[in-house]
Amino acid sequence: MRRTTSLAAVALVAVGLFAGTPGIVPEVAAAEADYHHVHITSFGPAVSVSWYTEHLDCQPIADRDDAVDCQGVELIFVPQPTTGGTQGTGVNHISFSYADLTAKMAELEAVGSRGSGVRHQRFEDGSTLREEPGLFKHGFIFDPWGTRIELIEDSEYLGFHHIHLSSTDPEGTLAWYQDVFGGKTARMRGRLDGLLFGDVWLLAAKHAEGVPATTKGRAIDHLGFVVDDLDGAAVEMRRAGADFQVEPTVPDNARTSARRAFISGPDNVRLAVVEAGFAGVEADHAVAAIAEPTEPFNPPQTPWGEPDLQGVWTGNAAHGIPLERPLDLTTLENLTPAEAAARREGGTLGSIWGYEREWRDTTLGYDKNAPSTQVAMIVDPADGRLPAMTAAGERTAEAAARARALYTENRSAGPEDLTPYVRCISRGLPGMMMPSIYNNGLQIVQGPGFVAIQKEMIHETRVIPTEKRAPLGDKLKTYLGDPQGHWDGNTLIVETKNFNGKTNYRGSGSEMTLTERFTRTATNRLEYRFTVDDQTMWTQPWTGMFTFNLDNDQYDLVEYACHEGNYGMTNILSGARALDRERAGGSR
Amino acid sequence: MKYLLTVVAVAVALTPTSMSAQSSDVPRAWDGHPDLNGVWQAIGTAHWDLEDHPSGPGHPDLGAIGAIPPGQGVVEGGEIPYRPEALQQRQENFENRMANDPEAKCYMPGVPRATYLPHPFQIIQGNQKIQIVYGFAEANRTIHMDKDDPEPPPIDSWMGRSHGRWEDDTLVVDAQGFTGEAWFDRAGNYASAALRVEERYTPMGRNALMYEATIADDTVFTRPWKISMPLYRRLEENARVLEFKCVEYSEDLLYGHLRREPTR
Repeated sequence: MRRTTSLAAVALVAVGLFAGTPGIVPEVAAAEADYHHVHITSFGPAVSVSWYTEHLDCQPIADRDDAVDCQGVELIFVPQPTTGGTQGTGVNHISFSYADLTAKMAELEAVGSRGSGVRHQRFEDGSTLREEPGLFKHGFIFDPWGTRIELIEDSEYLGFHHIHLSSTDPEGTLAWYQDVFGGKTARMRGRLDGLLFGDVWLLAAKHAEGVPATTKGRAIDHLGFVVDDLDGAAVEMRRAGADFQVEPTVPDNARTSARRAFISGPDNVRLAVVEAGFAGVEADHAVAAIAEPTEPFNPPQTPWGEPDLQGVWTGNAAHGIPLERPLDLTTLENLTPAEAAARREGGTLGSIWGYEREWRDTTLGYDKNAPSTQVAMIVDPADGRLPAMTAAGERTAEAAARARALYTENRSAGPEDLTPYVRCISRGLPGMMMPSIYNNGLQIVQGPGFVAIQKEMIHETRVIPTEKRAPLGDKLKTYLGDPQGHWDGNTLIVETKNFNGKTNYRGSGSEMTLTERFTRTATNRLEYRFTVDDQTMWTQPWTGMFTFNLDNDQYDLVEYACHEGNYGMTNILSGARALDRERAGGSR
Repeated sequence: MKYLLTVVAVAVALTPTSMSAQSSDVPRAWDGHPDLNGVWQAIGTAHWDLEDHPSGPGHPDLGAIGAIPPGQGVVEGGEIPYRPEALQQRQENFENRMANDPEAKCYMPGVPRATYLPHPFQIIQGNQKIQIVYGFAEANRTIHMDKDDPEPPPIDSWMGRSHGRWEDDTLVVDAQGFTGEAWFDRAGNYASAALRVEERYTPMGRNALMYEATIADDTVFTRPWKISMPLYRRLEENARVLEFKCVEYSEDLLYGHLRREPTR
């Protein structure tokens, strides 16, 4: 049916709906262009490729690990900092059409939304599908990177169906696209004005309020159109009023010698125009990793003569490093940058799977530093695994597993059934030092004899004395314990005891002695080693390590007013009570 | 006897600034400015009510333990210059304080309330920033001493955004960017998000600071007004700010109605 004739073109030049026959210069006034690609921001192209292949029936492209062919339109996934999803920009969503949408939606609902799953946008009544009178059945999903995708049941046009723009002036916008790229004026189902490029629609709806945000850096960074003769087309495009932001040029790291230009479309939509044969660029993990130091580093000193650790540091790079070495990576020294990027993205998606647009727009932490390529945090034991548990430790672990199982059966009777982190009390130690998906700031301020370590996440501050002081008595136990620090050369060593045992880290309890070593190994690097010694839990102490990076120039800790804004507690508990009522035979 | 009287008379005559200027026993930091490092605490009843207040009843379950002790106000001129409609809000706050006082909910106390809560706080005076770690609600503040041209607060917050500078021996802090949800005391005195506080910390010798805070908020008050009180160094040899994560103790108040066995 559709596109069988253009398959060769797809395979050869990896482009979508190739309108003109190669070699024939367009004769119409406007450039005769066709969709080439949709450029999607993602830190793990491999994960994106499998997501679109698995869930939306796109096809992998030979020799390309960063793109898929969705029935003729290429989706290119580019690892670059993302500043949010598609909503609010001039490209509201892309759309795929299925002959049996009810079945497709059921299949996608079964995937679940966790991690790199499928998120559904539900209608007010909770359903994922709705009949649009006179048009078709439709519903919305999101990819894990924040791209809004409409799924419709339009048997006339199956596969990649349309790109839906969001415009302050929909009519004018469609006219502009037609002037600049050609396309055929048509009415979808006789109701909705649009342009047809091949058999893929371009539609435009009125932007809800204000001016659309730029697509640059968002989940859909730009749309790409292919032309046979870029120079000729450029002349026509200029005549039609297109504003060239990047002149036709072969991009760095391009896979082919085909050129690409960027123009600015209406409503802040970024558009690429490429020559036939364009096949994307090789991924360049542009955020440079901070070089490992080659010689011992002499850290700056405070005016009063102590090693100076002061500044704003972040654990962003370390987010995603597992505590234990994965069992299938027993000999690997380091991940490749691409593997590290994919791993951190996995951690990111696992952390924000249920988050709404505003969170995704502002709090994604993965653009600050190149992700660490460290395989695991544990450096001792040498196998990177937690040591064997004691018999008592085994019992503790079993009890914890039973409690977890019970929790899903019997939701929170009260706040005490939730973790101190969920309750915004404390992440405990070493938990509070661990990198998290957002609010990874760590600020150190020193005064003579004291080091204040402030963590942004749920705002916890530790005040560490570096001169010997009397320890707290046995009856005075706290979440973050009783720290005693001292300087060993340029390393701050902190030994902490007197934990109250209300938090635990992998089973550590009130008997833990935690020994931490903070060493500035370069101007921008703070190495953090932590040794957990809890003989009630493990047969030997174990040590983990990761690095904080200095980020004084742009990072400022914000006040993470966790408890003050803990709507989650109210919602979790009221949800649990609704389940109680349901189980008792009542309604929610 | 005459000797003693003379000493007292001199002490009374000293204003905070003149005292520090003449005081040779003000500890000095590496750069010659006063060294404010240490554990400090206000003593008094400002945390109950910034204005003059007689004693009063507390929660009946607590007997005399919960009663409000009497206290002399710390407001210059005696009264907070509320706009009439704002005074009404203060009264409502007071009447509903058991449920609504952010302190009861273990919310961060804001500025200046954090200073005179009945809990110690520690100042860590670095060469670029000063960190104040309060005992209550894990509140903390960074006073940025290293921003020549202070940028506007990035977001509103309970503790605000603080920029500091030295004026002779006085640490002057400009604090703004508040959420407007914090109160000043248990009597329901409050301000809006338009609040701006200028604080002055002036050493009165080795073991006390004079604390002054000028409070400006056009939407709530008819003019800026000022409070002042001494802050005392905690002199115990083992003095420190102990962890007081009070969230646990607020959960019944906040979530008791959502327990399986409701407590509220």
